Amino acid sequence: MKNHWWKALGVIILLYTFTAGMLLPLKPGIVAVNPSSVRTGDTVTLSVQGYNTFYTQSKTPVRAWLKLDEQRALAAKDIEVISDNALRVSFDIPAHLPVSRRVQDFTLLLDNDVDGASVLPSALLVTQDSIQPDRGETLWVNSPITDLHEKSGITFPFRNILAETIRNTYFHVALWFAMLFLFIGGVSSSVRYLAGNDLDADYRAQAQTTVGLIFGLLGLITGIIWARNTWGAGYKFWNLREVDVKQAMTMVALFVYLAYFVLRMAFEDAERKARLSAVYNIFAFVALISLIYVVPRLTDSLHPGSGGNPALGGEDLDNTMRMIFYPAIIGWTLLGFWMAQLYYRLIRAQMHLEESVGV
Amino acid sequence: MLGWLSLPVMGLIKETLALMRKDLLLEWRGKYALSGILLYVFSTVFIIYTSFEEVEPKAWNTLFWVVLLFASISAIVKSFVQENSPRQLYYYSLTNPIAVILSKTLYNIGLLMVVSLLTWACFALMAGNAVKDNSQFFLALFLGSVGLSITFTFVAAIAGKADHSATLQAIMSFPLVLPILLTLIRLSANALRLEQDSSISDDIAILAGIDLLSLGMALLLFPFLWRE
Repeated sequence: MKNHWWKALGVIILLYTFTAGMLLPLKPGIVAVNPSSVRTGDTVTLSVQGYNTFYTQSKTPVRAWLKLDEQRALAAKDIEVISDNALRVSFDIPAHLPVSRRVQDFTLLLDNDVDGASVLPSALLVTQDSIQPDRGETLWVNSPITDLHEKSGITFPFRNILAETIRNTYFHVALWFAMLFLFIGGVSSSVRYLAGNDLDADYRAQAQTTVGLIFGLLGLITGIIWARNTWGAGYKFWNLREVDVKQAMTMVALFVYLAYFVLRMAFEDAERKARLSAVYNIFAFVALISLIYVVPRLTDSLHPGSGGNPALGGEDLDNTMRMIFYPAIIGWTLLGFWMAQLYYRLIRAQMHLEESVGV
Repeated sequence: MLGWLSLPVMGLIKETLALMRKDLLLEWRGKYALSGILLYVFSTVFIIYTSFEEVEPKAWNTLFWVVLLFASISAIVKSFVQENSPRQLYYYSLTNPIAVILSKTLYNIGLLMVVSLLTWACFALMAGNAVKDNSQFFLALFLGSVGLSITFTFVAAIAGKADHSATLQAIMSFPLVLPILLTLIRLSANALRLEQDSSISDDIAILAGIDLLSLGMALLLFPFLWRE
């Protein structure tokens, strides 16, 4: 048992990841607002659709603002609660806005004591009939946003496009990290083979690379499903100009390691196969690393961290998610190395069998 | 004081030069590689010209690098195959493996520079010259020839040990040169004024970095291949 603790640890961590990652609720959020654009001078009644919200259970009345910037916001004229996740909010839009832009976007902010504050960025676009910032200043009735509530309990953040798919972080992204660790393990096994000419190290490299490739494929598949749900079906996952480092490296790693296996198939002699594939493995890994510097310089990416997309930093990966995301990486990595060890034993047994029976 | 150090280095340079001279002589007597590549480039560009008639700069840029990629692969793939194994054994007993890979790489860099200039000349002759910034474009050609030949030569050393070396060469080296190729296309897009970028020096630095890194890896790993 002394040498097997890490396998149990990996399984326990993954069980924790699946349970917590799938069962914890999302924070309340705003899914959609209708209508989404108005003209100045109108009184607009917005139908708001909430998610995971409990508008009827709030003890204090629900409050709403249209936020222009950090200092300026419009308070709602009237709020009608229809159900737990539907509201009607009316605003008086002044005849002129205190900005010199023709179309101004407003952020909708809702607050009550059960759900806490929820935000929908660029919820409403207001088109000005004539641009007169001076008159806008005088007409503006500012009502500062104060006394926001906090939602109690453990929740994941609500992000507008991502919504429930934010849970995929624990699978898609964590699998990518585990893949990278497995490839690093494979490369170090290859280095050990070249240093000691021990065929066991070559079997290990083959096993770790195979499992890494499987994880890469799984990461790619979860990524495609995720992209279809968030960025739409038109997103091309194979377009290198639109992808980021993670996806480009997965695609190229796929080609590199498929070539690695073709190379292995090309040789009968075990020593020769081991030496040539170890050399290729090391050389290819170094080439793969250089993609980290090349890809970010290509163009804007749809992926996290660029072009206004949610990223793994700042507010998007909050502390609750970190409590599951980091263990998920460790769990997938441990599981991967366990799989690789089993496969390594299988390869070694097959080789011994061939030696004793075949020849 | 440097005497004892310079002796092996001098020997290495001497060996490298001698091996390069041998490769050059072989090529000069056969004239097989260069004429074959030239014919390949010429016919490809002719097909491009007849089907496109007017090649837009963006297509020009892409087609140029694709043609050059395939031309360089077929120029380099035979590096370690053209000589039979008894002769390889003879070299093995005589020379330092570093000198072998260095001479092949340097020779291929020269070959690829000739091939890329010829490809550019073919394009300029038939499809028109889309290059606006000559110095930047030729810098890209130089760095590209260096990077492609380092990787291709090293992979040719591996693929040369197998029976179907040409197929193996292609599938093993295309993913490896992808970082180089992406940077090259970006660099030459800038030289064609397809996009304006002030941080082009970073691209050059990245390309030079990749070239140096892969050369280091090739020199480090080649002795293991040679030990057969």
